[in-house]
Amino acid sequence: MNSSLKLNQLKEKFGSAILRADLPNDNCLFVFVEPSVVKDICRYIFRDLDARYIISIGADDRPFSGRFLVAHDFAFDRDQLLCSILTHLPADNPKVDSISGEIPAANWAEREISDMVGIETVGHPYPKRLVLPDGWPDGVHPLRKDVPWNHVPEGFDEERAYKFDDPPAGCTVVPIGPFHPTLDEPAHFRLYVEGEMVRGCEYRGFMVHRGIEKLAESVLTYNDITMMAERICGICGCVHSVAYAQAVESAVAIKPPPRAEYMRTVMLEIERLHSHLLWVGLACHIVGFDTLFMQSWRIREPIMWIAEKITGNRKTYALCLIGGVRWDITPEVKTELRLVLYKLETEWHEVVAAVGKDKNIQKRTRGVGIADKNLVKNLGLVGPVARSAGVDLDCRRDHPYAAYRHVDFAVITEDGCDVWSRLMVRAKEVFESIRIIRQCLDKIEEGPLQSEIRDELPVGRLGLSSVEAPRGESHHFVITGENNRPRRWRVRAPTYQNLQAVPAMIKDQQLADMTISLGSIDPCFSCTDRLETIDMESGLTKVWTQDELFRLVRDRKG
Amino acid sequence: MDHNISWIILGGLANIALVLLVAPFYQGILRKVTARIQSRQGPPLRQPYFDLLKLLGKEDLESGETPLMQRFACYLSLATVLTVASLVPMGFPSPINGAGDVILLIYLLTLSGICTLLAGLAAGSTFSLVGINREMMTMIALEPLFAITIVIGAIHTKSFRIDTVLNGSVYAAGFPLSGIIMLVVMLLSFQAFVQRVPFDISEAETEIMEGPLMEYSGPKLAIFKYSQMAKLVLFSSLFVALFVPWGTGLVFPLGWLLFWAKVMVLVLLVTLVAATHARYRIDQAIRYFAVLLFIALVALILASYGF
Repeated sequence: MNSSLKLNQLKEKFGSAILRADLPNDNCLFVFVEPSVVKDICRYIFRDLDARYIISIGADDRPFSGRFLVAHDFAFDRDQLLCSILTHLPADNPKVDSISGEIPAANWAEREISDMVGIETVGHPYPKRLVLPDGWPDGVHPLRKDVPWNHVPEGFDEERAYKFDDPPAGCTVVPIGPFHPTLDEPAHFRLYVEGEMVRGCEYRGFMVHRGIEKLAESVLTYNDITMMAERICGICGCVHSVAYAQAVESAVAIKPPPRAEYMRTVMLEIERLHSHLLWVGLACHIVGFDTLFMQSWRIREPIMWIAEKITGNRKTYALCLIGGVRWDITPEVKTELRLVLYKLETEWHEVVAAVGKDKNIQKRTRGVGIADKNLVKNLGLVGPVARSAGVDLDCRRDHPYAAYRHVDFAVITEDGCDVWSRLMVRAKEVFESIRIIRQCLDKIEEGPLQSEIRDELPVGRLGLSSVEAPRGESHHFVITGENNRPRRWRVRAPTYQNLQAVPAMIKDQQLADMTISLGSIDPCFSCTDRLETIDMESGLTKVWTQDELFRLVRDRKG
Repeated sequence: MDHNISWIILGGLANIALVLLVAPFYQGILRKVTARIQSRQGPPLRQPYFDLLKLLGKEDLESGETPLMQRFACYLSLATVLTVASLVPMGFPSPINGAGDVILLIYLLTLSGICTLLAGLAAGSTFSLVGINREMMTMIALEPLFAITIVIGAIHTKSFRIDTVLNGSVYAAGFPLSGIIMLVVMLLSFQAFVQRVPFDISEAETEIMEGPLMEYSGPKLAIFKYSQMAKLVLFSSLFVALFVPWGTGLVFPLGWLLFWAKVMVLVLLVTLVAATHARYRIDQAIRYFAVLLFIALVALILASYGF
């Protein structure tokens, strides 16, 4: 009764402003409201009802309802409830009140809505371009339905430079990125440094947009997108695939068979194991401790092999379909997986014991990259970053999906708020993942892997899904549509929120701590930069101009 | 007399040749042992020779703000290191004896630090400037440590002559307390002198992208790398000469082999420490050096009173 209880609370307060509500199930609530109350109702939900902000979504709904659509997603983690506040906006000159003043976490999401859908967020505290490249002409919004997916806009101005803010007085600018040894992917941090102290920073990212959401809305079909979603990220791809499939399943009320749910759980946990071990290695590399980097990756390797045995691939498992999974686990592989887990557990115990005693590594990580409870709340931080600040938050328990309601596991929290706590959270979560996989192997039921879908999926339904990725909650929002594909699909990777906290985390710290602070959120830029239709070029090569490169790319395609 | 001078020059050249020859080998050992500690196969021992040859064969690009200074800095770096090589005993008494006093040695080692500064200035990028900033802070803390060691040696041997100090070591007669203290201090700061983890702060690849060296490539990078490899051997030799001189008096092949074995032990120690530590921040490192410097000053006072 969670969803109806919350709805009644909202109705009491806002009464007639609530136009319509959908309660597809007990864990999902969609409330359609008047545009004028959006700001108030979001503030009420975020501050008074203490919900966690997830993401804001803008959609071009003109071909269907003649209007634009804006949704703000919230999570009531204690009540196992995901809630979306939706409002329709007029087709000409769409405007909506910005909620970023009340909810700082919405800063990026609202700027993205302005960039991509062209909905003005009135009163946004920092209305700078976020997603679109520097030279992109004003007034062209790629996610509008009248912009084709392969559209190359007229008037792309390669001379137009992004205007960065002025650095504070007395500070020099240290550019980290777009290419830096510790950034695996391009992103640009403009640090304001005074001596060795960082006083502030401006972020310019979204340099590797691949237009994935646009592609899904205009070219691919439902079951193609599970494969495409997996390619959002090279490390936690299965998470996106599962989250997307669950969002569609929740929208059209399909339930995958139990065996499929267990398979999803097993593969998600295998992915978490590989991701956490990978992260511990990278973090050690960043602080110059290469021995643990190598050892951690050595311990991780058998996980990759067993994943290959189950799915045919070390990573990018191609596991999910709408309503089921594609891979099964045989008794032989089960036995082998148990052996791999046993070996991993013993070796990881040794590593954790050694690291726990290591004063040297604690010196570099304790008190570094502080993100406290307040920051977690205001910026909607998730995953190990939130748990290291003592915020007891884990979608596997709070919004149970797949087979997580059938297994027993602990949610690891620490209260140091620093890089060391994040290291400890991840290190201990490895043991919980091992526990979960073992229980799944014991409990997994015989049966089909795929539920039968006879009819075309209904149109215009809304679906939400949150999956706990190794980095935090990965949230997918889907509106089902015609032609066997969704009308709108919005992905919110955990890094999207966590990255927004980096400027606060590195402020007034040593420059040397910048890379490990950034590394501690386990940033995944490709997850964050998932949409757009054009690539930015670095400008580092002198032989090719940006224009020539574009031409080269396009000619080859043609 | 002429005969004598030619021997001195030949000896000096022999020392230089020896350092150039064995430095990549010791680097190879360092890399191999590091790899074994990290459960890796590691490159073959001769890999550093190949690496240097490969870099030397690449195009000599000019980059950074002042390419001329960039070139000068790497040549000066190798030249300084090789000059030191001709002054340090390597299993034999140092070939160039009577060529100056120990102050020269202190100057030369400072000069090799200055080469890094020049290299960073020549690149002119923000990262290299951060790097030289750190390098300068490290130098200011480390130079006095080395100077104190040399001066204690000079006090005990009652001479400033370079050959006397280096051949006589800090102990001179018996086991003075100050000598033992300096042995410990130098052992604790040795990693910083050879610029390895946890004190590779001024280069810190994952933070400031090799700092001063970031604009170097091809032959110039090879020369810089070569001088860094030579530095490891030289500082180890100096350490052995000053603190573990025992056995140099043995008959030719034995004493000589013993010397290089001791250098090897030091290189292995450096490897082990580097493989088991994370990099310190510059402020943490400076605090660490400050403590060592204080202890070294106490040792200097003790030495001046004859302990």
